[in-house]
Amino acid sequence: MASKDPVPSPAQGVGPNYQPDGEKPTATVSKEISYENVHVLSQTPQLIALLTMIRDKRTARADFIFYSNRIIRLLVEEGLNHLPVVEQSVTTPVGRAYLGVKFEGKICGVSIMRAGEAMEQGLRDCCRSVRIGKILIQRDEETCMPKLFYEKLPADIADRWVLLLDPMFATGGSATLAVEVLKQKGVPEHRILFLNLIASPSGVAEFAERFPKLRVVTSFIDQGLDDKKYIIPGLGDFGDRYYTL
Amino acid sequence: MQSTSPFHSLTPEVKYSPPWQDLSIIGIAGSSGSGKTSVAAEIVKSLNLPWVVILVMDSFYKTLTPEQHHKAHQNEYDFDCPDSIDFDLLVETLKDLKKGKKSHIPVYSFADHQRQPQTTTLYSPRVLILEGILALHDPRIAELLDVKIFVEADMDVCLGRRILRDVKERGRDIEGIVKQWFTFVKPSYTKFVAPQRGVSDIIIPRGIENLTAIDMVVKHIQRKLQEKSEAHTEELHRLGLIAAKIVGMNTILQSPETEEVDFVFYFDRLASILIERALDMTQYGPINVETPQGNKYMGLSPRGAVSAVAILRGGSCLETALKRSIPDCITGRVLIQTNESSQEPELHYLKLPPQLEEHSSILLLDPQMSSGGAALMAVRVLIDHGVQEEKIVFVTCAAGETGLKRLAAVFPKINIIVGRIEEDGEPRWMEKRYFGC
Repeated sequence: MASKDPVPSPAQGVGPNYQPDGEKPTATVSKEISYENVHVLSQTPQLIALLTMIRDKRTARADFIFYSNRIIRLLVEEGLNHLPVVEQSVTTPVGRAYLGVKFEGKICGVSIMRAGEAMEQGLRDCCRSVRIGKILIQRDEETCMPKLFYEKLPADIADRWVLLLDPMFATGGSATLAVEVLKQKGVPEHRILFLNLIASPSGVAEFAERFPKLRVVTSFIDQGLDDKKYIIPGLGDFGDRYYTL
Repeated sequence: MQSTSPFHSLTPEVKYSPPWQDLSIIGIAGSSGSGKTSVAAEIVKSLNLPWVVILVMDSFYKTLTPEQHHKAHQNEYDFDCPDSIDFDLLVETLKDLKKGKKSHIPVYSFADHQRQPQTTTLYSPRVLILEGILALHDPRIAELLDVKIFVEADMDVCLGRRILRDVKERGRDIEGIVKQWFTFVKPSYTKFVAPQRGVSDIIIPRGIENLTAIDMVVKHIQRKLQEKSEAHTEELHRLGLIAAKIVGMNTILQSPETEEVDFVFYFDRLASILIERALDMTQYGPINVETPQGNKYMGLSPRGAVSAVAILRGGSCLETALKRSIPDCITGRVLIQTNESSQEPELHYLKLPPQLEEHSSILLLDPQMSSGGAALMAVRVLIDHGVQEEKIVFVTCAAGETGLKRLAAVFPKINIIVGRIEEDGEPRWMEKRYFGC
């Protein structure tokens, strides 16, 4: 999967619209990907600045947590845009009718431990009393394949929209297994939203083809994978940087 | 709410041993090519349990001198005699594992015939399968083994298998293999390997094909584990009977309201108070600061790093509160689940921060504690990783009295912060409410 000669990530001028093109600073932006079910957040100057912060190896943990939480909230907000709504008319305090919408259906979060748990706070910030299930997947020492070690999910998960949380998507072994687990529990594929910070182009493409009805919301598709299957340029081990480093 | 340095009454010293402290070690010996590896793998498969680990004795080969190294490449070094194996290190390792300690397994490279600088860490297996041609050879090891198995196969079959394997997997030529077989393997078999039959408990003829024998072994191990599990539960009961006093426990804060949104909100508030109280238990030292008016103020500043370890799944409920006080608190995680059928806590996952033992305080987080089984196990895990008992502050929102007594009796030096003392045997409902499942 690791391409020996990775296509470089696109670099373009990034800045507010009113800034003339020539004056915009050049920055690396997400690769384009042509799958309908993969949504990459708009590469706004804000997002690029936040990503720059968390990719920098000199960024200390307090800042890393703060800035990654900001991106995670953007991901959750974008993810919620993919849920269906119904018409809802309300009367405002001045007695006027306002024709709006309300969300229909129940949701829950499912974090892939340990790094996915770091995204729970961002999810709670947007959805106050959201139910949160957990899945622990580890590499099987013998087969080197991802293996399900533990799961605790809402009993009625089959009736819910699931926001699946995992910040880093390299080869996608864990995420694929997690989706299989959810499907076994009766969650239809089209009701799964995978929220992710940084993905590898090969991994996300394979994932999108494998689960065509599932939707991926990511903030950035990186350049590729190295020989050890780490995302490059990536940001290191998300769990370590968030919890222990 | 009460914090306490639980004091010790005149009760004899009590100790908690986690289930893996008394791990079962199964030794599998037999000639090269007899099918030891397959038998070991089949036992693992049939047991179908977590925490079953195969330890291959090849990892304990001694590093070769340049001269021996040269011989090895000429197929003239005897890898089949006991001298080639570092039995002393193996005995140490097995003893450590029996004591429930973390051990470092050497990694041996066949390419350079050398022990590699890196090691593999092994901690908390319940069943360890030691596999090697001479697994039963050293009497010190034989003594540590719970089951001693000798796998037997016709020597022609062994040679055949060895040729196939070495040619296919290790890229060696037939001539070399045959030479080694007759110079070392076969004589060594007669001299060292075969005599192990005498000390073995079970001889499995025909190796992997012998399903009856493997099934017998598996049943035996399962029975042993069952006995150990019962003994562990009994020990927990025994600890509960000890009347270690816990100073002035009072209930100030009540359990939160029932509305789901409110539950999370009030839980976080309660937890924040508990965390702040726990931080009173951490180390501070004097510091002089100058105010903007140029005045001196003699104050205190925290000494050393304060980190936290969440006992999952529930412990992560307390992280929101933790981050309010220490936004970048270093956090480790340990997943302990109580087995529904045996009521025994099980360690599923462990990820501790590096150099945890150097931190000045470690907050151990669990929203609710009933019998104290999980808490005992978690404290024990920290101590096994070099953390001093007195640096641990256990933080919980609600705890059963018996469980608290147990924890305080076994670990008299840890500090415990409790939000509310509740009836014994209260199920763990708080994390269910917090996560909504």
